[in-house]
Amino acid sequence: MMKDFVLKRIVIVLLPFIQMYGLYVIFHGHVSPGGSFAGGMILGLGFVAFATVFGLDRGRQMLPEKVTTLTESYGTLWYGIMGMIGIFKGFPFLANKLAGIDVGVPGTLTSGGLISWIGLGVGIRVASTITTLFFTMMEEKP
Amino acid sequence: MTAAIRANLPVFAVIAPLFVAFVLPTFARRTRLVEGLVIFVQAVGLWGTAYLARLVLAQGGLPIIYEVGGWSAPWGIELVVGNLGAFFLLVVAGVSLPVAIYASGNLAKEVEGARRRAWFYVLYLLLGGALAGMSITNDLFNVFVLVEVATLSCCGLVSASQEPSGAEAAFNYLILATLGSGMILGGIGFLYIVTGHLNMGFAARALATVWQDYPHVVWMAISFFMVGFGVKAAFFPLHIWLPDAHSVAPSPASAVLSGLAVKGYIICLMKVLFHVVGPELMQVFSLNRLLVLLGMVAILIGSILALGQDELKRRLAFSTVAQIGYIFLGMGLLNVKGMTGALFHIASHGIIKSALFLAAGAVITQTGKERVSELAGVGKKMPITMGVFTIASLGLVGIPLFSGFVGKWYMLLGSLGAGDYLAAAVIVAGSVLCAGYLFPVIRVAYFEPAPADDWQEPGVRQRLALILLAMGIFVLGTIPGPLLELALAAATDFLVFN
Repeated sequence: MMKDFVLKRIVIVLLPFIQMYGLYVIFHGHVSPGGSFAGGMILGLGFVAFATVFGLDRGRQMLPEKVTTLTESYGTLWYGIMGMIGIFKGFPFLANKLAGIDVGVPGTLTSGGLISWIGLGVGIRVASTITTLFFTMMEEKP
Repeated sequence: MTAAIRANLPVFAVIAPLFVAFVLPTFARRTRLVEGLVIFVQAVGLWGTAYLARLVLAQGGLPIIYEVGGWSAPWGIELVVGNLGAFFLLVVAGVSLPVAIYASGNLAKEVEGARRRAWFYVLYLLLGGALAGMSITNDLFNVFVLVEVATLSCCGLVSASQEPSGAEAAFNYLILATLGSGMILGGIGFLYIVTGHLNMGFAARALATVWQDYPHVVWMAISFFMVGFGVKAAFFPLHIWLPDAHSVAPSPASAVLSGLAVKGYIICLMKVLFHVVGPELMQVFSLNRLLVLLGMVAILIGSILALGQDELKRRLAFSTVAQIGYIFLGMGLLNVKGMTGALFHIASHGIIKSALFLAAGAVITQTGKERVSELAGVGKKMPITMGVFTIASLGLVGIPLFSGFVGKWYMLLGSLGAGDYLAAAVIVAGSVLCAGYLFPVIRVAYFEPAPADDWQEPGVRQRLALILLAMGIFVLGTIPGPLLELALAAATDFLVFN
């Protein structure tokens, strides 16, 4: 934990923007560089920055292990559920436009159809994995 | 609804274990529920794969092609349940169900803590899903992803026992396997440079026309594949990680690692070598000679090293090196009989080695003795466990009526057909050596006076799993029927229709 007032203020102010940017990268994965892995990484690094500045205990309070386990598990399951939409509509696994999902105008945010939603699940999973890895390494006794 | 499930069975074979693996950590402490769910998904998987295999057999070997996302071949990922896919899916499902039943009974004694056990099952299911995917995917990059999933799950399974030696073995394995993954990715990259395709069928067609323009690149790609998959499959000079890793893992993990995981990589290598590169090109690069030669060395060296091991699980691990040699030898013969033998040996060794490792694990957890020399009289105290061990030993040696015989017989016919009498002699010598390292265990267990210790049979679930595997060995040896038909058809696909 760091005792620097300026650092703490800056992290508090920046945190929402970091998270917002992470979500932006996730949802624009199909039209711009980045995607769910890079976006999820940014999302997770927000928590890592918070835990570095405010200490591990505050970090764990904000994101307890139970929550990271849940997001890790269901983030990945979300991918599968999105893939199942195709099957429920009578098409193969992961069918996108074929299963009647609106893919909008090419080049815009909605043009990915399912891809953005699948990316959300993957992004959440990556974010919680990164935080879990970081917390585990900080908790480890040398 | 049932029609939808039936149409999507190939993809369910891959994603059903993965789905269950994803949700397990959320109720990790409720061991009963975790175990029930794992056994349930394996049982349903066995039923589904049996249905798929029947479908493939009924179609006369015509593959069931599944296009993920509705994108057809060169663009999308294809899952092809052909003869080979159905065969290996059946093997994976057939072996992992008894192992899961055994694990639900024995794991509490081998891995401490309910959460750790739940994570063990997560890795177990991930491995199962990855192996199912490897057997049916027709996309080179998909192969790489599934190989990575399987490799990382294997590393986790090896280190599950929480012993320092387990961590060391897992680390060694991780380093070598990562090297192998890099090699495989490099091989895929070189093939992609030359052919411009990741789909195996399209890559094969492109390679047949362009390989003469880039012989060195193709040669490079093939050597990368050989070393990459060779490390993971413990092919002879690259087997150094296997004895440590497979002997320190908890016994259900040893069973699937030795019985199934290494075979998954062999199946991938077979697909790359026979479907993409093709038998003619293999002969141009004298790959078949290399496979036969290294296979023979693996059989002899692996068996001789196994003779010298006093630790029971280590002895079985070295025996795996030798049996992998058989499979590569059968592959290298380049005739249908040898190939059928290799494929059937994948199935029979999968079942036999799982049975051996599970029986050894039961003996070790019940008695606390790890060395063969300390097991005097254990056969009298634990008749079922040692009975299954005896049946599996007879099977591995290749006594008629047990499953190991069928595979070895076909390989023998294949090597005689190819005029390779040295290989035939090595196959027989390997069987003799196999008897040399397995029968002393049986002799010690049955024909030496039992100590006064109160050794008991393992629980009912462990016994059920062992008996199921023993029945499998016996059934495959007496009426190999559909599985042999699938292996024969897959071998014909590999060598004739190319």
